[in-house]
Amino acid sequence: MELVIGDVQKRFGAVEALRGVSLTVPSGEFFAILGPSGAGKTTLLRIIAGIEKPDGGRILIGGRDLNDLPVRARDTAMVFQTFALYPHLSTFENLAYPLREAKVPREDIKRRVAEVAEMLRLTHTLARKPSTLSGGEQQRCAIGRALIRRPKLLLLDEPLTNLDAKLRHDTRAEFKRLHRELRTTTIVYATPDQLEALSMGARVGVLRQGRITQVDTPSALYETPDDDFVASLVGDPPINLVPGTLRESGGGRSIDLPFLGLDASPWRGALGGFPAGTKLTVGLRPQAIWPAVAAEAGPRFPARVYLTEPLGDVTILDIVAGGDTRLRMVLPQEQAYRIAVDDAIECAVDPDQICLFAQETGTSIRRTAMGARAEAAA
Amino acid sequence: MSKRDIRAVGIAGWGRTLGAAIISLIYFFPVLFIILTAFKTRQDALAWPMKFIFAPTLSNFVSVFFRTSVEGGDAEATGFGLYFFNSVFIGGTSVLLALIIGTAAAYGFSRFPLRGNDTYLFMILTTRMMPPIIAIIPIFVLFRIFGLSGTYVGIIALYTAFNLPFSVWMVKSFFDDLDRDIEDAARMDGSGEWRVFKKICLPQVYAGLAATFVFAVILTWNEFVFALMLTSPETRTVPAQIVRTIGGSMGVDWGLMSALETLFIIPVVLVTFALQNQLLRGVTFGTIRR
Ligand SMILES: Nc1ncnc2c1ncn2[C@@H]1O[C@H](COP(=O)(O)OP(=O)(O)OP(=O)(O)O)[C@@H](O)[C@H]1O
Ligand SMILES: [Mg+2]
Repeated sequence: MELVIGDVQKRFGAVEALRGVSLTVPSGEFFAILGPSGAGKTTLLRIIAGIEKPDGGRILIGGRDLNDLPVRARDTAMVFQTFALYPHLSTFENLAYPLREAKVPREDIKRRVAEVAEMLRLTHTLARKPSTLSGGEQQRCAIGRALIRRPKLLLLDEPLTNLDAKLRHDTRAEFKRLHRELRTTTIVYATPDQLEALSMGARVGVLRQGRITQVDTPSALYETPDDDFVASLVGDPPINLVPGTLRESGGGRSIDLPFLGLDASPWRGALGGFPAGTKLTVGLRPQAIWPAVAAEAGPRFPARVYLTEPLGDVTILDIVAGGDTRLRMVLPQEQAYRIAVDDAIECAVDPDQICLFAQETGTSIRRTAMGARAEAAA
Repeated sequence: MSKRDIRAVGIAGWGRTLGAAIISLIYFFPVLFIILTAFKTRQDALAWPMKFIFAPTLSNFVSVFFRTSVEGGDAEATGFGLYFFNSVFIGGTSVLLALIIGTAAAYGFSRFPLRGNDTYLFMILTTRMMPPIIAIIPIFVLFRIFGLSGTYVGIIALYTAFNLPFSVWMVKSFFDDLDRDIEDAARMDGSGEWRVFKKICLPQVYAGLAATFVFAVILTWNEFVFALMLTSPETRTVPAQIVRTIGGSMGVDWGLMSALETLFIIPVVLVTFALQNQLLRGVTFGTIRR
């Protein structure tokens, strides 16, 4: 079912939890909401679920206003961040509850509970109360209870946080497969974890302090973030954000970083409206920096290795450049093993992977330029 | 308990157990004294030093219900059968009523707060802030006017009213402690408000209801002042009759009194033991995660 959210606002006393959120999620999409703790993810999901009233704005589910839909006709299920299992009921009864409330015949309930329990590996826990289940089992029970009704809209609030790394990976894959099988089920998945959001969402909406700042595909979020917040949220390890200044020098323009002068010509168009002296924030992905090879052309700078974090296949290097600018870079193991702490190295940067933001607003200059062009056209 | 825990109990543990046993005995001694006396003959009961070993007799228990007032005369029913029935009936009914009304009110206060909710709750509590004796004259007059004196309806209504504040406050605290997400989950699963209450909230506070029930039963079971003033010979409860039994021309009959008291505490002990598990969970509600 298609989900349309129009200018939804919600405040709790002095806290503005949502400040005008608008979104459209087409039928059957896996949509991820990515936002740090306190961004308003839970509040937004609760409003979509119809258990919290927004102060303003509207929600359309399948083209119909949420307020006009009785709970049963909404076909919405939610996995709560706290699981919210019924503590006095066994796993079986927890899974069966939505079916019982929908007056499904007894035999069908038995069959469907067995199916769901089988799928989520809960069969051995069916007779037990939630308090005796492990964190992962409780989580799967909560997921099962949401899935058993075969909802048209499935809301997931950080459903993987309580799982260990391996189970989390498995369940992530499971969710994707499930979504493919359910086909018509629209999924809204809230998480503070960029890896989960990017790996599962067909599109990702970034929520920051009650506002959606960007809605895009995972690769667009990564490559062309709208602002420095999105840039710092997406990608692992996090992007390096370095202050820079726009300079007029002889024939062309350049961007002065503490450790490097960058030729600004690749961004000529986007930077056109900015006067010399403009303060910028320059985003360098850790993946876009590497130890320079002798013959290599392009920008390069000297640095000192501050510390190394070997992660098995790759190593994260913390380097110091231009006095006291700390940068992170990622190297495959076979390149990293020769580098030790306190080594002096020469680094190269890929200009194509650099993102530029206006320092004052944090907005990407690409976006600012697009806005200016749109204004000029209007 | 793992092996290590058992070892850890060790000598200090035994000492503690012994200490606990001694303290319990001190607390329990008056009750033990009463129970022993209940099985003693008049001579044994008055013997000093106190006898722990004696030939037990049931005659005191018989005379609770049938008594010969004149030496060698016919045994007469004392009416205690009726008074025990009254105590159980009046106490049970009023506590149950208070619990039912109190639970409904507590749920309302907890989940559907009104403007000035706390004020209402405070007002409910104020009715328990003064000693009940202060209210006895107005209540006595009211009962007279409405013809409630000496009736079951009257005394049950009164006890219900007196148990209500306690029930409301206690049960509300149990509802307050519940995780609201669970109710929201039930709403999403298609439950209406009534089903949320009945199927989700109520079962989670059963232990708390049991604890409230036991406390209210104990309070009501022992109530004396109103029972004395407002019951008739037909609706009299045990405490109101005990006081009439104490005196008498032959001095205090300790054996009889003790037998009476022994019988009197049995129902409360039974209720408490029957609900023991719930009671423990109820009073520790919130401190221990379920
Ligand atoms: N019932 C409430 N009363 C008061 N403030 C609330 C309430 N619910 C949420 N808030 C506030 O609204 C803001 C958004 O909360 P929300 O729970 O939606 O965040 P979240 O994105 O889900 O965070 P997390 O990742 O930690 O779960 C927070 O500042 C929170 O303190
Ligand atoms: Mg949350």
